[in-house]
Amino acid sequence: MSLTKTLHPDEKIKAGKLGKSLTKVGLGIAFVFLGISLVLGAMHPDGHMRRFLYAYVIGWSYIFSIAIGMLWLIILHHLVRGRWVTVVRRIAEAMAGAMPIIFIAGLGFILPLVFGYKDLYYWAHPDAHDPAINHTMLHKLGWLEPNFFAIRYVFYGVALSFLAHYFRKKSIEQDTTGDPKISETLRIASGPAMVLFALVTCFVAFDVLMSMSPKWYSTIYGVAFWGSGCVGAFAAFALLTLAIQRTGRLTRSVNPEHYHDMGKWMFSFTFFWAYTAFSQFMLQWYGNMPEETVFYKYRMFGEWQWVSIAVLVGFFAFPFVFLMSRWTKRIVPALVFFSVWQLVFHWLDLYWNVMPNYDWGTQFHEDTKLVLGPLTGNTAFHHVAFSAVDITVWIGLIGVFLIGVGRNLTGNLIPVKDPTLGLSLAHENQ
Amino acid sequence: MSTETTAGEPAAEHHDEWKPGEARAAFRQVTKDVAWVSEAPKPHKLWVALLGIALILFAIGVYSIYVLVTTGIGVWGNSNTVCWAWDITNFVWWIGIGHAGTLISAVLFLTRQQWRTSIARSAEAMTIFAVMCAGLFPLLHTGRPWLAWWMIPHPNDMGMWPQFRSPLMWDVFAVSTYMTTSILFWFLGLVPDLATYRDRCLARGQTVRGIIYGIVSLGWRGSARQWHRYERAYLILAGLSTPLVFSVHSVVSFDFATSQLPGWHTTIFPPYFVAGAIFSGFAMVLTLMLPARHLFNLKHIVKESHIEAMCKIMLATGSMVGLAYATEFFIAWYSGNMYEKFAFINRAFGPFWWSYFAMIFCNVVIPQAFWIKRVRTTPILVFVLCIFINIGMWFERFVIIATSLARSFLPAQWSYYHPTRYDIGLFVGTIGLFFTLFLLFFRYVPVIAISEVKGVMPEAHAGKKH
Amino acid sequence: MSTTEHHDDPVEPVLPEHGDLYGVLAEYDTPGELVEAARKVRDAGYTEFDCYSPFPVHGIDEAMGIKRTILPLLIFGGGFAGTVGGLFLEWYCNAYRWGWNISGKPTWSIPANIPIGFETTILLSVLTTFFGVWMLNKLPQVWHPFFRSDKFAKVTDDSFFIGIEAKDRRFDVEATEKLLKDAGALEIEKVYLDPDPAKKKLPKWIMAFIVSSTAFALVPLVIAAKARNSKSSEPHIHIFPDMDFQPKYKSDQAMDLFSDERENRGELDGTVSRDPASLKADEAFYYGLDNGAWITGFPKQLDIDQRLMDRGKSRFNIYCTPCHGYDGQGMGAVPTRVARGGGTWSVRDLTDNSKPPSHAVITMPNGQLFNTISNGYATMMGYAGQIPHRDRWAIVLYVRALERAHNASIDDVPADQQKGIR
Repeated sequence: MSLTKTLHPDEKIKAGKLGKSLTKVGLGIAFVFLGISLVLGAMHPDGHMRRFLYAYVIGWSYIFSIAIGMLWLIILHHLVRGRWVTVVRRIAEAMAGAMPIIFIAGLGFILPLVFGYKDLYYWAHPDAHDPAINHTMLHKLGWLEPNFFAIRYVFYGVALSFLAHYFRKKSIEQDTTGDPKISETLRIASGPAMVLFALVTCFVAFDVLMSMSPKWYSTIYGVAFWGSGCVGAFAAFALLTLAIQRTGRLTRSVNPEHYHDMGKWMFSFTFFWAYTAFSQFMLQWYGNMPEETVFYKYRMFGEWQWVSIAVLVGFFAFPFVFLMSRWTKRIVPALVFFSVWQLVFHWLDLYWNVMPNYDWGTQFHEDTKLVLGPLTGNTAFHHVAFSAVDITVWIGLIGVFLIGVGRNLTGNLIPVKDPTLGLSLAHENQ
Repeated sequence: MSTETTAGEPAAEHHDEWKPGEARAAFRQVTKDVAWVSEAPKPHKLWVALLGIALILFAIGVYSIYVLVTTGIGVWGNSNTVCWAWDITNFVWWIGIGHAGTLISAVLFLTRQQWRTSIARSAEAMTIFAVMCAGLFPLLHTGRPWLAWWMIPHPNDMGMWPQFRSPLMWDVFAVSTYMTTSILFWFLGLVPDLATYRDRCLARGQTVRGIIYGIVSLGWRGSARQWHRYERAYLILAGLSTPLVFSVHSVVSFDFATSQLPGWHTTIFPPYFVAGAIFSGFAMVLTLMLPARHLFNLKHIVKESHIEAMCKIMLATGSMVGLAYATEFFIAWYSGNMYEKFAFINRAFGPFWWSYFAMIFCNVVIPQAFWIKRVRTTPILVFVLCIFINIGMWFERFVIIATSLARSFLPAQWSYYHPTRYDIGLFVGTIGLFFTLFLLFFRYVPVIAISEVKGVMPEAHAGKKH
Repeated sequence: MSTTEHHDDPVEPVLPEHGDLYGVLAEYDTPGELVEAARKVRDAGYTEFDCYSPFPVHGIDEAMGIKRTILPLLIFGGGFAGTVGGLFLEWYCNAYRWGWNISGKPTWSIPANIPIGFETTILLSVLTTFFGVWMLNKLPQVWHPFFRSDKFAKVTDDSFFIGIEAKDRRFDVEATEKLLKDAGALEIEKVYLDPDPAKKKLPKWIMAFIVSSTAFALVPLVIAAKARNSKSSEPHIHIFPDMDFQPKYKSDQAMDLFSDERENRGELDGTVSRDPASLKADEAFYYGLDNGAWITGFPKQLDIDQRLMDRGKSRFNIYCTPCHGYDGQGMGAVPTRVARGGGTWSVRDLTDNSKPPSHAVITMPNGQLFNTISNGYATMMGYAGQIPHRDRWAIVLYVRALERAHNASIDDVPADQQKGIR
C-alpha cells in the first residue's frame, strides 16, 4: 500500500556468471547457425551468396531494431523521469549495449558492398546508372554510393553505440557513488540524445531498408521501422527478464506489475506500428501514383499478398485483440506466448519489407540486357520462395545479439542506488 | 526507505504520522481554493473586462458569418486556384489546439504523469471550445450550412447517400466523434466536482443553484462501489481517447495527403500533424493557464513544475515537427519528383516565403529556448514564446494549404491569395467565441479537478498502515 | 416540524419524528482509517454497506471486497458493434444502395472504409462507457436517504464515511455501532427515512414540467408526420431561398418594358446570318426533305464511300452507343445500368424489323432518320447542337449498315465466300 518500497535484503541482484553463460550460448548459436547459413547460402541456386546477404540484411535489421527500441526506452525513461523501468533498466541497458556488436556484425553486408558486390542493393549495380531506364534516380546515386553509404553506416554505429554506452556507464557509476546528481545529468543528456537518436534511426531505416527499392520513397518509413522495432524490443525485454528470473535472480523485485507495463508498451507499439503502416499504405494506395504504388503492387498481388495478410493479421489484428486484456499481460504463459509471437512476426514484417525486392527484372534495350532492379516485371513471377537460409541467418544473428547482451550483464542487475528505485519497486498498475 | 519522489512533483514530504484532522484540513483547503472562484459574489474586474473584449470579437465573427451566409463564399478571398485558404487553415489550427486537451486528460493520465491533474479540466474545456470553433469553418465553407445534415446518412427522396470514399466525409465522422467523446469525458470528470459544488451551495442556502448543480451532478455521493466503476470508466475513456486523438488529426491530414498535390501528398503527414497539434495545443493551454493562475490565485495548484513539464513537451513536439520538415525536404529531393521538389523550393523562396520563414522561426527556432531552465521557469517569457508558437502553427497550416494550391501543376492557374475582411473577421470571431466560452467556464464550473487533485496529494495516503 | 405551517389544513396528520431506520453512518478521519474500518466491516460479514469519500481511496476495493466491474466487457461489445455497424453502413450506402463511380475508385474496398469504421468503433465504445457507468452505478438518482444527514454533505469535501444499511441481515443497531466505533469512528449517526409519505412522491410541478416538455418536443414530429401523409398544392416552404428566386427573366414571361409585353424578342426585320450555311438553302442536306417529303437516298454532295462509313461509325460510337449500344439494338450502358438498378429505360432497337413499319426505324426514310438525329424523338434529345450536318448523314449511313448487317441472310455474302460460313 505504500508509495515506495526498499529492496529486499535477500534479493539476488548480482549477475555473476549469468552474462558469461549467455555470451557462451550466443556464441554457440551464432557459430552454428551462421556456419550452416554460409554453407546453405553457398549452395543456394541463386548463387553469389545473394540469398544469404538478403537474409543477412533482414536479420541485422531485426537485432538492430530490438536494440533501438531498448535504447529509446532508456532515453525516454530519463527524459520523463519514469518510474517503473528503474528496476529492470539494467536489462534494457544490456540489450541496448549490444549496439557495437550489432554494428560490427552489420559489416557482414557492408563490406561486400564496399568491395563491389552489386546484387544486394540495386543502386550499387552498374545498370542503375543507365539514364535510359533510371532517369528518376540518377540524382541520388551520389547519396546512395557504396563508400558514402559505408561512411554513414560507421557514423550511425558510432553515434548509437556512444548513446547506449553513455547511459549505461553513468548508470553503473551511480551504483558505486550513489550520487543522485547522476540521474539529473542523465535527464539533461536525454533531451539532445533523443534528437540524435531520432535522426539516426530515421536515416538507418532510409538507408538500409528503404534504399532496397531505390526509386520508391516514403517519408514515414523511419517512423514505421522504429514502431515495428519497439514491438519486438518490448517482447524481447519481457522474455529476457523472465529468463533472468528463472535463474533465481530478481525474483522479489520484478513482479507482474512490471510485466504489465512491458505488455502495455508492446500493445501500444503494436497499435502504433499498425497506425504508421496504415498511414503509409493508405496514402500511397489512395494517391495512386505509380512511383509510390509500385511498393504495394508487388505486395498486394501475386504470392506476396498472402505474406501481407499474414503480417496484418499476425503482427496486428490477433495480438491486438488479446493484448487489450490486462490478463494477457500479467499471466506469465500468456505473456510469453505473445512475446514470442510478436518476435516472430516482427521478423516476418522485416522479411515482408525486404524480400519482395529480391527478384530483379530485366529488359532488352538496344540489344543489351539491362537489369531493371527490384519491383519490376510481372507480379506473377515474384515468388515468396522461403529458404532455409532465411531462418538460419536470422537465428544466427540472434546469437550475435545474445553475445552483445551477455557481455553487458555484469555486476548489479538492479541500479541499487537510483533514487527512483523505491517507486519502481512499489509500482502498481490501476 | 527512499524519500525521494519523482515525476515533476517537488519532493513531497511523505510522512507516516498525521495529526487528527490534519489531512481533512488539507482536503478542505483544496476545495476552498477552487470553489471560491465561482462562489465570489462579484466576478473579478479583469474577468469582466476580458469577457467584454471577447464578446466584442465574437460579435465581429457573428457579423462576418451573417454577411457570408446571406451573400456567399465569394466574400472570402478564396479563388478557383486557392480554393482552401484561411477557412481550412483555421479549422486545422483549432482542431490541433483541441488535441492538447485530450492529450493531457488521456495520454498523460495513462502514463501516470500526476502533474496533469491541475490542468486537465481546463485543458479538456479548451478542447471542447476549440473543436466548436474548428467545426464552424468547414460547416460555413460548405456554402449552404443549413444543408449540412445531408452529410448524415438518412433515407431520402433523392435516393442519395453520403460518399464514404471521400476524406472529407471521414473528417465529419472523426470530428463529430471527437466532439462527442470530449464532451462525455469532460462531463464524466466533472460529476464528482459538481457534487461538491452542489453540497456547498446547499450548505450556504443557495437552493436554486444547488438544485441545478444537483441535477447535473446526477446525485453523485462518492460511494466506493461507484468510484470503482467510475475509475474504470475514466481509465477506459482515456484509453479510447488516445487512439481517437491520433486518428482525428490523422484524418485531418488525410484531407491533404490523399490528394496528389505536391506538398500535400506525403506519408509522414499523419504523425506529423498529430505532433504539430499537440505542440500548438500545449502553447494554447499555457496561453490560457498562465494568466488564469495569476488572476485566480491558483499558483500553488498549477505549480511552476507543471509549466516546466509543458515547456518540455513543447520542446519535444516542436523538435518532432522540425524533424518532419527536414524529412519532407530530404524526401522531396530523394524522390526525384520534379513537382515535389518545386513545391518545397517554392515554399521557401516563392511568393509566400514570408509565411514559410515565419513558420520555421516560430516552430523550430523559438522552442529551442525551452532548453534553458531559466526560460522555462519565467512565466512571462513562457507566455510570450507560447504566443509565438500559436502564430507559428497557424502559419504552418497556411503554408501547407495556400502555397501548394497557389503553385500547383498548371502555371496558367497560378495565383496569389489575399484574405478579405470577412476572412479576418471570422477568424477573430472564433477567437472571441473561444475566450467567451472559456471565461464563462472559468467562472461557473470547477476549473480544477478537485477530486483528482485530492487523490494525488500525499494526504490521500494518510493513516495507512505499511 | 414543517406541519405547523399548514394552519388551514383541517386533518393534520401527526407524523412521527422519524421514519424507518435506513442505516447508520460512521465518520472517519483519514483515508487509511476508512480502509481499515471497511476491512473490519467486511470481515464481520456485512454485505449491504458502502464507503463514501471525496476521492477514490486507494486500496478500498480490496478492503471492501469489490468485484471487478463488468464494464470493460460491455464496452468491448459496444466497440465491436461500432466496427460492424460502421462498415455495414458504408457498404450499404456506397456499395449497395448508391454505387457511384467516383474517379474510378472501387465502390467497396476495405482501406477506404477503415477510417470511418475506426471512428464508429470509438464512438460506440465511448457511448457504452459513458452510459454504462451510470447504468451500473444506478445514477442519476438525485436523492438518497443518506442525504438527510447534514454531515453527509461533507463527503464531497473532506469527510470519509461508512454507511451500513439496516436491510443487511447482520444489522443490529447496537452491535453495528459498536463495530464502527471500535474501528475508530469519530462520530456515528443514525439515518432515518422521511416520516412524511407525501415526500415519497415526485412533486407535481416536476411532473407537469416533464409532461409538458415531452408534449412540446413531439410537435415538430407531428408536423412532419402530417406533411408526409397529406397532399398540398402550395409551393414549397423556402426557409433558405438558396438561388430559387433570381432577379431575371425566363423565357415566355411577361414584362412591361416592351409594348407587346413579351419578354422573348424575335429576330429583327432584315436580320442576316453571318454564316452562309445557316441559310440552309439546300433542303435535302440540312433537313432531309425534298419538297416536303423525306428523302430516301443521300444528299448529292456526299460521297458514299468507306471514309464516310468510318466517320459514321466513329460518331455513332461516341454519341449514340450510350443508349443504343454498339450494335444498335438498344442495350447501351445507360439502359443496362438502369435495368440493374431495377428500373426501365426503353431504347428503340434500330435494327428491329419485326415491328409494324410505322414503328420500325428500319423502314424510315433516310431523311426522317436524319431529322430524328437532329431534333430528337420522345425522350431522345436532338443532337443538332453537337453533331454537324455532314456527320449526322454519316451516322445515318452507318445505321443503315448496322440494319443491313443485323438482318443479313446468307445471300448477302459474296458467293465465293458462302461456303466457309456455312
